[in-house]
Amino acid sequence: MRCPTCLLHIRGGYAELSDHIYNMLGKTDSNHIMWINRYVTRSRTSKKELEGLVKRVFETGDLKEWIIQKFIGKFFSKSPHQFLVKMQKPDRWTLLGYAYEHHHFLKQWVKSCSLIIINTDFEEIHHYEIDNIISEWHGEKGRFPAHHELLLKMGQSYGASLDDIYRTEPLEPTLHAIQTWDHICRNFSFVEGMAAMHSLELIANRKMKEYGASIGYFDPVILRDGSVTRETVDFLREGYEADVSHSEVALALIAKYSSMLNLQQEVQAVFFKSIEEFDNYLNARIERGAILENKQH
Amino acid sequence: MKTNNTEGCGLCNATWGEYWREIDGDNMYFCCNICADIFETMVKKVKEITGWKKIDYVELVGNYSSGRECEARNGEDAFRYYFRTYSNGKFITFEKR
Repeated sequence: MRCPTCLLHIRGGYAELSDHIYNMLGKTDSNHIMWINRYVTRSRTSKKELEGLVKRVFETGDLKEWIIQKFIGKFFSKSPHQFLVKMQKPDRWTLLGYAYEHHHFLKQWVKSCSLIIINTDFEEIHHYEIDNIISEWHGEKGRFPAHHELLLKMGQSYGASLDDIYRTEPLEPTLHAIQTWDHICRNFSFVEGMAAMHSLELIANRKMKEYGASIGYFDPVILRDGSVTRETVDFLREGYEADVSHSEVALALIAKYSSMLNLQQEVQAVFFKSIEEFDNYLNARIERGAILENKQH
Repeated sequence: MKTNNTEGCGLCNATWGEYWREIDGDNMYFCCNICADIFETMVKKVKEITGWKKIDYVELVGNYSSGRECEARNGEDAFRYYFRTYSNGKFITFEKR
């Protein structure tokens, strides 16, 4: 078992996990309280009741479906993440904030994929991660550009210089998230690393509305109405098409290997941690946009 | 200072945890130090903008994800605003409505 908040490895089952969480709630630990409030219940319960509620949050017969539904609950609910709200009709500052912070995200992404490779001998995983690194970071000369290259071009199309994007340090929430993902991919099992990273690709999966999302990552109308630059269309379209296969193939691999290695709860715990970091990271894209806009005035 | 959150934390109404902090002379209950930090900063911002010396009541509607639409009252006067924070309590947005 692993705690979804502090990632502590816990010997035993849900009784022991629940004991740990209850103990931390008793100490008024803000991180554990936030997790319980957001995913379990905001009303104080007995220790025994809490054990049942915590167990229910993790229970599933289909890990892929569980991850998709929890992800929708977090980012695509009736009260969607504010970055997604901004992305329906994105302005220059939202897209610039995206470019500056996501550059750092992708730099970590390629390292995370590499760490996942290092942590396993399963060739199926090696192939998956190498393919991902090529599409996100390297591209293939003459055939297709890397996602990172398209991101930089989007930033440049709104007036950012490559030099400035490279010289600008990530905002604190981006840095914190990057460090958390690095820690997970470096020190935990490869399947936990995969869950931490590849579940996040659901954000741009165009099938999310079919799965119950209230909105998509962006309104597809912007790909053809001329409201964003051609470079933005190229960037968004590439992700829009790639992330269906990326995220869903990855989720199938995560389900397969977590079952094989008996690590399903650990994978779920790491997923919870990762989406909290991702939430803050998406907010950092908004904050960066606001910082850049204020510089102009 | 009173809020519409009468069951638990002055900011989010959760009943876990137990953290007390004096806000404008009142000892207020919060679920954790982060909620107390957010509430304290929010009160400071409202007082700075309105010039009020005290706030009697705050109505908060929303959550950490969508942000909170609020109305602060001082006697007959009211001030409407919206705010949103990071998980660590740092403000992302604070806007007059």
